[in-house]
Amino acid sequence: MSEPRRITSEDLTMFAMQLLSPEEHAEVAAYLERSPDARQELAEINGELAIYAHTVDLHTPPAQTRERLMKQIAREKKAIPIDRPAAPEAVVQSGSVFAEVAERINRSTNAVQGNEIQGNEVQVNKVQEREADSGDSIIADGPPKRGVAGRVLPWIGWAVAAGLALVSWNLYHERDNLRGELTAQMSQIDQLKTQAATAADVANAAAARQVLDTMKDASAMRVTLTTYKAAQHPTGRTTYVASKGALIFLANDLGSLPPEKTYELWLIPAAEGQSPIPAGTFRADERGNASVIMPPLPKGVDAKGFAVTIEPQGGSTTPTMPLVLSGE
Amino acid sequence: MYRETELVNSIPPSAQNDAALLTLVRQADESAMAALFDRYSKVVYSVALRVLRDPASAEDVLQEVFMHIWRNPDGFVATRGSLGGWLAVVARNRSIDTLRRKRPAEQVDDMALASNYNLADEAERNSLMEKARSVIRLLPVEQRKTLEMAFFDGLTHSEIAEMTGDPLGTVKTRIRSALTSLRKAFTA
Repeated sequence: MSEPRRITSEDLTMFAMQLLSPEEHAEVAAYLERSPDARQELAEINGELAIYAHTVDLHTPPAQTRERLMKQIAREKKAIPIDRPAAPEAVVQSGSVFAEVAERINRSTNAVQGNEIQGNEVQVNKVQEREADSGDSIIADGPPKRGVAGRVLPWIGWAVAAGLALVSWNLYHERDNLRGELTAQMSQIDQLKTQAATAADVANAAAARQVLDTMKDASAMRVTLTTYKAAQHPTGRTTYVASKGALIFLANDLGSLPPEKTYELWLIPAAEGQSPIPAGTFRADERGNASVIMPPLPKGVDAKGFAVTIEPQGGSTTPTMPLVLSGE
Repeated sequence: MYRETELVNSIPPSAQNDAALLTLVRQADESAMAALFDRYSKVVYSVALRVLRDPASAEDVLQEVFMHIWRNPDGFVATRGSLGGWLAVVARNRSIDTLRRKRPAEQVDDMALASNYNLADEAERNSLMEKARSVIRLLPVEQRKTLEMAFFDGLTHSEIAEMTGDPLGTVKTRIRSALTSLRKAFTA
């Protein structure tokens, strides 16, 4: 039997960033279950990541985002269940007949809550029948003997009251259920709208990602087409969107450099007096190909041109002449 | 108990601490939610935008993260760390999930985060940001780039190794070393 792999701080860091394969993730998760020290270490790492996340350049979200959130919140607030009113205690305490009627109403209400709506009419009838049946025994215990009308009429009143109470409860719960359903459906519609929008965005992001992956792929075949038998010389092509600060640079036929040197790409701003902005260091592969994809650049800087220089490893803050490549 | 509630409610939401705001959110107080949004939306949106590089997708993550708080105000436990830090990491993780077209990771609420910083205070938050940026600027460029590729681009250590040509172990060590430098700078 093989020894379980030792989980290191590096593993916990990759786990915290959700960058492990499913198998590795499960392995580390199981280890965390067993080890309080590892859990503490993971909390420390999450703290470090939280600090690191705060190094990002701050951008203010569009104003309508807040409005959208508050609208969604207001809609979902309606879905919070409304407290059911308490059972009519005063009625229960006021006498045995009332207690019985109230108990029956409660029973009927519980049946409604249990989605036994179909049985309600039958229960109303049963309540009325039982009222009529029990009426005899109560009358038998009472001192004065009354005529048929005198015995029945008060019970008709109670039966009507009980029936009305029951109908009111039904209407109340029906309204409540409909309101809940309406809110749930509205939430569902919102969710579906958001999902549809997100799906489109995600598809765009996936397509963009595929383009990036293709460009970054070291095994990709890169061919520069020139006039027949033209002498090969280094070339570079830059695609730059100033408003987004997005830049893609692809180069061919670059010479290899000693280990202590690197190529560096420069953005030359259009505005007078602005220094060239470093746009990333890179090295050419064995076939002379190189790329710089989406380096961190400030947004909204119009470019006059681009240039490539050879700099010490790690890059420079100002370009060192001569220019290996340049273009405007 | 009544006095405490009264005290909390007498302070405008924007001036209350995170725990008090979360208590109000539990009571479905919309103004408390607005105050939390005003406090942390910039960081959440900026992290999402950095990862996704697309404003519309970043807005979706922002909406999702704050709706999560509204629906599960108990999801974040104050003893697990600062809300601001928690939100920043959750925003990053949700953005990476979006990038990978993955279902959101379900362990968001379980995430513990050790932090001694009161990120609810804007001055303290700004000071932390400045300090963190200066520490990161001083890191060796390989460490800085590797951490950036892992955290903001969501690249695995294998992907980073493939792209940079560095051994897997070196990639892992660089990420760990960069974060350790950050920790040391903040505990010194």
